[in-house]
Amino acid sequence: MTNDRFPGHNFLPYVLVFPTLAVIAVFLVVPFVQAVHMSFFRLSPIGRTRVYVGFRNFEELLRAPDYHQSFLNTLLFCALVIGIGLAVSLFIAVLATQKIRGAPFYQVAFIWTYAMSPAIAGVIWALLFDPSIGLMTSIIRNVTGYRLNFFTEPIGAFALVTVASIWIMLGYNMCFYIAGLQNVPGELKEAALVDGAGPWKVFWIITFPMLSPTTAFLMFVNTLYAFFMVFGMIDVVTMGGPSQTTEFLVYKIYRDGFARMREGQASAQSVILFLMVASIAGFQIWMSTRRAVYSR
Amino acid sequence: MRSMKRMLLTLLVALLAFGGTAAAQVVVDFWHGMTGGRLSVMEQVIDDFNARDPNMQINPILMGTYAEGLSRWLASHPIGEEPPLVQIYEVGTQAMHDSGMIIPAYQIPERLGVDWDFGQYVVPIVLYYSRDGNLWSWPFASSTSMLYYNADHFRAAGLDPNAPPTTWDEMHEYGLQLLEAGVARDTLSFGWPDWQFEQQLALHDQPYIDNGNGRLGHGTNVMWPSEFTNELISQWGAMAEAGTWLYGGPEYEVNSAFTAGELTMLMQSTSSLDAIMRTVGDDFEVRTAFLPRLEGWPRGNSIIGGNSLYVSSNASDEELEVIFAFFQYLAEPEVDIFWHKNTGYFPATNAALKQLMDEGWFQESPNPLTAFLQILSGRTDSPNTLGSRIGPFVESRDYVRDALSEVSRGADPEVAFGRAAERITVLLNEWVEFID
Repeated sequence: MTNDRFPGHNFLPYVLVFPTLAVIAVFLVVPFVQAVHMSFFRLSPIGRTRVYVGFRNFEELLRAPDYHQSFLNTLLFCALVIGIGLAVSLFIAVLATQKIRGAPFYQVAFIWTYAMSPAIAGVIWALLFDPSIGLMTSIIRNVTGYRLNFFTEPIGAFALVTVASIWIMLGYNMCFYIAGLQNVPGELKEAALVDGAGPWKVFWIITFPMLSPTTAFLMFVNTLYAFFMVFGMIDVVTMGGPSQTTEFLVYKIYRDGFARMREGQASAQSVILFLMVASIAGFQIWMSTRRAVYSR
Repeated sequence: MRSMKRMLLTLLVALLAFGGTAAAQVVVDFWHGMTGGRLSVMEQVIDDFNARDPNMQINPILMGTYAEGLSRWLASHPIGEEPPLVQIYEVGTQAMHDSGMIIPAYQIPERLGVDWDFGQYVVPIVLYYSRDGNLWSWPFASSTSMLYYNADHFRAAGLDPNAPPTTWDEMHEYGLQLLEAGVARDTLSFGWPDWQFEQQLALHDQPYIDNGNGRLGHGTNVMWPSEFTNELISQWGAMAEAGTWLYGGPEYEVNSAFTAGELTMLMQSTSSLDAIMRTVGDDFEVRTAFLPRLEGWPRGNSIIGGNSLYVSSNASDEELEVIFAFFQYLAEPEVDIFWHKNTGYFPATNAALKQLMDEGWFQESPNPLTAFLQILSGRTDSPNTLGSRIGPFVESRDYVRDALSEVSRGADPEVAFGRAAERITVLLNEWVEFID
């Protein structure tokens, strides 16, 4: 193969990929190996003593109620961001691809949220829902009489970061769904309509299955968002509070490792998180290659 | 065109001239956690220092939040990657002392063979950062908490702005009257609620942990919930229910409600003073007062917060010279006054304080004096009033914050704080296990 493409330059392909591999090795592989190594140690908070403890960090984590809470909250958050997020994105994408006046305007208007970093979006949402001066807090209070304070209410804080996360991923998801929808061949839909299927049925038996590669891909990307990229938003909006409700796994690693000075435990957490996300991603890829319809 | 040429020529000559001495230049990296308005003020201070002697340079590097800076510095010292100079917040005091990675402040002049009068620094600051009577870190940005209030709201609600509340009962009564008058959405909130809890303990001469509040040796027991904390926190819980206390977030989040005129009273660090005054401008009159007290309990003092400067034990003598020159520079009245006026942090030296008084600064802007009088007029002879020394302080504060937010939505104070105390006790014992 290589000989065909680069005749007489056997090593050229390796030279070309070297910079990428080097960056991956230095910034991803080496730190990962170090994290695995550290997860077997108990480190003194002031960095002097280091005791080998075997699997004790892992055992303690699996017994700690804090960690269970963080684990379950992360899974719930992930499920909501994927479930509601993808459903809403698909719904709006279908609307935005209808033959209506100004469709391109709507498409752009919905997509731009993705241009924002999660931290910036977090600032906007935190201001909207600020317990004192938030516009939304005020509206909710005037309509329902209920005063939301996401600094103290676990459910309120969880809902806030979930909705904000769904909102920020909306543009990205829609982008792909619009592209996917435009690739669904019109003749299939027309044939189904001729056979007497209603628009709803056409959607479920033609469009939705045809979108399955897109859906599979977006599930993967949204999983990564929910597990990792949400960090910026949490740090800006809730700092993991109240009562550690929004201290999702990735944020917990940061708090434990960098603020609470428990590096060994934080390393163990990152190893667990890695294994978990890797297996979820692996499962999703396996599912999508098995179930998704890639060819017409 | 000609002036351009001349400028280039001068530059060239200057470069050549300095080229010879460049080898002697010592650049000291300085990790800090200053953000927002304080960052540019600090950079100005450092730039002015650097302009004095090109051979002595301080290079400020922002290392994220205070908590991050602390763990990073402690983690980088064993591998020799730490900067010689670092800014650490008061929460990290015990961890830095325990680390064995620093040169205690009082030993720095000794090592350089010079004399330095530590008596020139303002007493409460020295006491806070001292251990066995010696200063362990260099005073830099010291603050405490005080009560900010919107005098216009007071007037609109028929309250006397010259008589701010002094007790927690009054805080509540004033709050009810403010709510009734409908002048503000909220009447009282805290910045750094965990720290406000610590302030209240010290203000009433109550301990946080045992062993002389951690100042005689490592404490291993949390001294609350106590009768005092139960009474205080119950009152806060009742106020939350009545709408006269709002839990407004972990740090500075609630400042914006105050400056927007939606919150009447704010208990916050003095370091927010300059930013608050500038944001509010002429929109309303900002007044300040001492922190409120709980009646019937002993008197103590408010605690020093903010941050101080530590020097790595790995610092070379050349670096130490630069660092000490920088410390001397910070103690110059003009520098200290500039820092105080532009941030709200306390002036650290008595000379700066006198000059500020002489030039009438406190008459023309009385708010910076409030917290100063508060801390100078309180007791300084009990470890409870000086503030606790806790190794795992960062994490302890997480649990106090959790407890406070739970109380604000109706949890039983003794249960919530009991749970926090239990968790902190575990941390204290783990710490001792590692250090001793």
